[in-house]
Amino acid sequence: MATLSDSAGGGGSGRAGAELMVPQFLLKALHAILAVRVPRPLAAGTSAASFRRRDRWFHLPLHAPPPPAAAEQLPEPSATEPLVVDIYLTPSGGAGAEEVVERWTVSCEPWSAGARAAAGAGEGLAVNRAYKRCITMLRSVYTALRLLPAYRVFRLLCASGQSYNYEIGFRVGSFAAPFTRAEESAMRTRRFAPVETQLGRLVVSVQYLPSLAAFNLEICSLAPAMIITDYVGSPAAEPMRAFPASLTEAAGSAFPPPSRRPNSWASPVPWPHAPVQQAKFSPPLPLYASPTPSPPTFAGGYLQSRLSGETAPMIIPTTSSGRGPVHHRNMSDPIRGFMLPPPSPKNMRGEAGLHETPTDTRKAEVLRMADLYANLPAAPKIKDSRDESGRFSGVFSSSGSPRLGFSRSSSRLSMQDDTDDADFPFAVDDVDTPDSRPGSSGGKDVGDQASSSSHKSQDAAVGYLVHLLRSARPLRDASNSPHTSRAESLEAGATSSFMSRRTSDAFEELESFKEIRENLLARSRSRMQDSLDKSVRHS
Amino acid sequence: MRCILHTIFFHRTLTLVRPKDVDCGLFEITYVQCGLADLEKEVDEKINQFIAWVEKHPNRRSQVCLSFFDEKNKNPCWFSNKTERIYWEQWFINLHVISPKGHGKSHSSKATTDLGGKALEETSSRRAALGLLIQEVLFQIINFANEKKDHIPLISDRIFNHEIMIPSSSDSVFGWNADVLRRVLNS
Repeated sequence: MATLSDSAGGGGSGRAGAELMVPQFLLKALHAILAVRVPRPLAAGTSAASFRRRDRWFHLPLHAPPPPAAAEQLPEPSATEPLVVDIYLTPSGGAGAEEVVERWTVSCEPWSAGARAAAGAGEGLAVNRAYKRCITMLRSVYTALRLLPAYRVFRLLCASGQSYNYEIGFRVGSFAAPFTRAEESAMRTRRFAPVETQLGRLVVSVQYLPSLAAFNLEICSLAPAMIITDYVGSPAAEPMRAFPASLTEAAGSAFPPPSRRPNSWASPVPWPHAPVQQAKFSPPLPLYASPTPSPPTFAGGYLQSRLSGETAPMIIPTTSSGRGPVHHRNMSDPIRGFMLPPPSPKNMRGEAGLHETPTDTRKAEVLRMADLYANLPAAPKIKDSRDESGRFSGVFSSSGSPRLGFSRSSSRLSMQDDTDDADFPFAVDDVDTPDSRPGSSGGKDVGDQASSSSHKSQDAAVGYLVHLLRSARPLRDASNSPHTSRAESLEAGATSSFMSRRTSDAFEELESFKEIRENLLARSRSRMQDSLDKSVRHS
Repeated sequence: MRCILHTIFFHRTLTLVRPKDVDCGLFEITYVQCGLADLEKEVDEKINQFIAWVEKHPNRRSQVCLSFFDEKNKNPCWFSNKTERIYWEQWFINLHVISPKGHGKSHSSKATTDLGGKALEETSSRRAALGLLIQEVLFQIINFANEKKDHIPLISDRIFNHEIMIPSSSDSVFGWNADVLRRVLNS
């Protein structure tokens, strides 16, 4: 553009220059108007270190703020047609008519025949002079755009996180519907001194409402609703602490608000009886909501239903061979050393003396208890999507026969599994449906098939807590048994994912489950005694 | 003052500028600066000098003059290199700075509060009126800047030569006029 500003200009070159300059002037004016009339999030601190070539037209780069992207899509104005830009306000949501608050008119009025001849001769109409005048006019337009009332509206609507009861819009064309008399009278007009070029006179004018107070702009809502996927405690933010989708959907509870850190110590949620759900879960339920897997509280009724025999199945990592060689499996049992929750009182009555066995067989007893417990009548299972991967997924079938479900690859019960399982902080949330649960392995029948529904929910809770306790830090001394070393290492690995749980809460639950376990043990003892007596009599 | 001076400069700085919107929070006005650091510094210095003068001469009418000129060698010869200034445009900004009146002593806190509340109302209404006045002044600058443009020199790579004249402490009761008269006599 230095050539236009410095050259003497005139004659044919002058006209060519004017033909180049006038459309650029119209385009520059259009962009300058839209830059401060089209609300959009304005980037702070726009860098203007280097301007594009076309930004240098009229020595006025439009960079703060730049024109909206929509302006780039508009066709380039023609020198022969006027440019009319309407800025209007319309109620948000489209519930109302538009009202034009500002109308800019930029045009190049062609010379009459006589004037054209004079212009063609180049008398005093050097391109450089016209270019210089255009620069000044554009500076005036640029300044005026910020002094008019619509600029305040533009700034308000650009404010982030707020939406108002009005929206500002624009229309660009070469023609606009004339104002009514009333509208005309309400508006003021400002005309800028025209610039004479060899093509004609460049004229810029603006009609505007002197006050926009009548529109009563108000904030109608805060930041538009947006889904926050990485809120504190979300699966996305903390993969280790996510919940399975199946759990929440089965529970059917509303999700807690993302801004509030969910607490698993919140009010209990009835154990879900819904079929297995496979969907991803986010965000977690209040019951299991804490991404820090702290043991949930359960209402008495809920626990009662769990103990009724109709246990909500809890997926415990199972081996394919079922529950037969429990003792052998114990060696690799990741829950070795865990204080398992007591099984259902009905189911465990017959097993006497399990808690009286020596230390070295204590693990087997504990596992057996879990096994017995596992086979209590269960509520519908919620299958964890990672069930087969070897996570803590205890399956408590409702068959009544205890079955100790362990991971098929119990060695995978490690920290890594916990880390990898992005949506599964509480394996106990996985439950089997009554149909899908594995059948009882026969053998020890410590479950009461005819338990009431209250036992089911209680058993489900107990089973759930078993799994939680498994993953908790071992409460016993680490020097208990050499057999426990491997399990404890696995425990440590699994526990690390739940370190944030409050151990005091775990202790409390442990106490309650101990009591339940005692009841179940007593029952199982009596049953076993009965069966022994029968066998002796028969023999 | 800043609004007015920068608006004038924005219209008369025809070199490539980096326009910068500046909010004058006091009056809810947004004006445009050229984005030239040297110019901003010069304007700030002159405004500070003017404020110092106003503090010494309260409640006096004053005038700030922004002049654009060309420098030409006057009678160039080997032994002298006098240059003369040819002013091609001058902007006169007439000001009357009024010091805020102190409120009379009151023996009761309630009266003080009432007076304070009234003072705030007066201040805000005065400020609003001043804001509208400044807006009108800026539109006047736009009109003046666009009316006459042929006298503006050719576009150069730098800002046109200019000076901002403010009343100085040595001025007599006639203000800066003596300074201007001296300059006219010298030219």
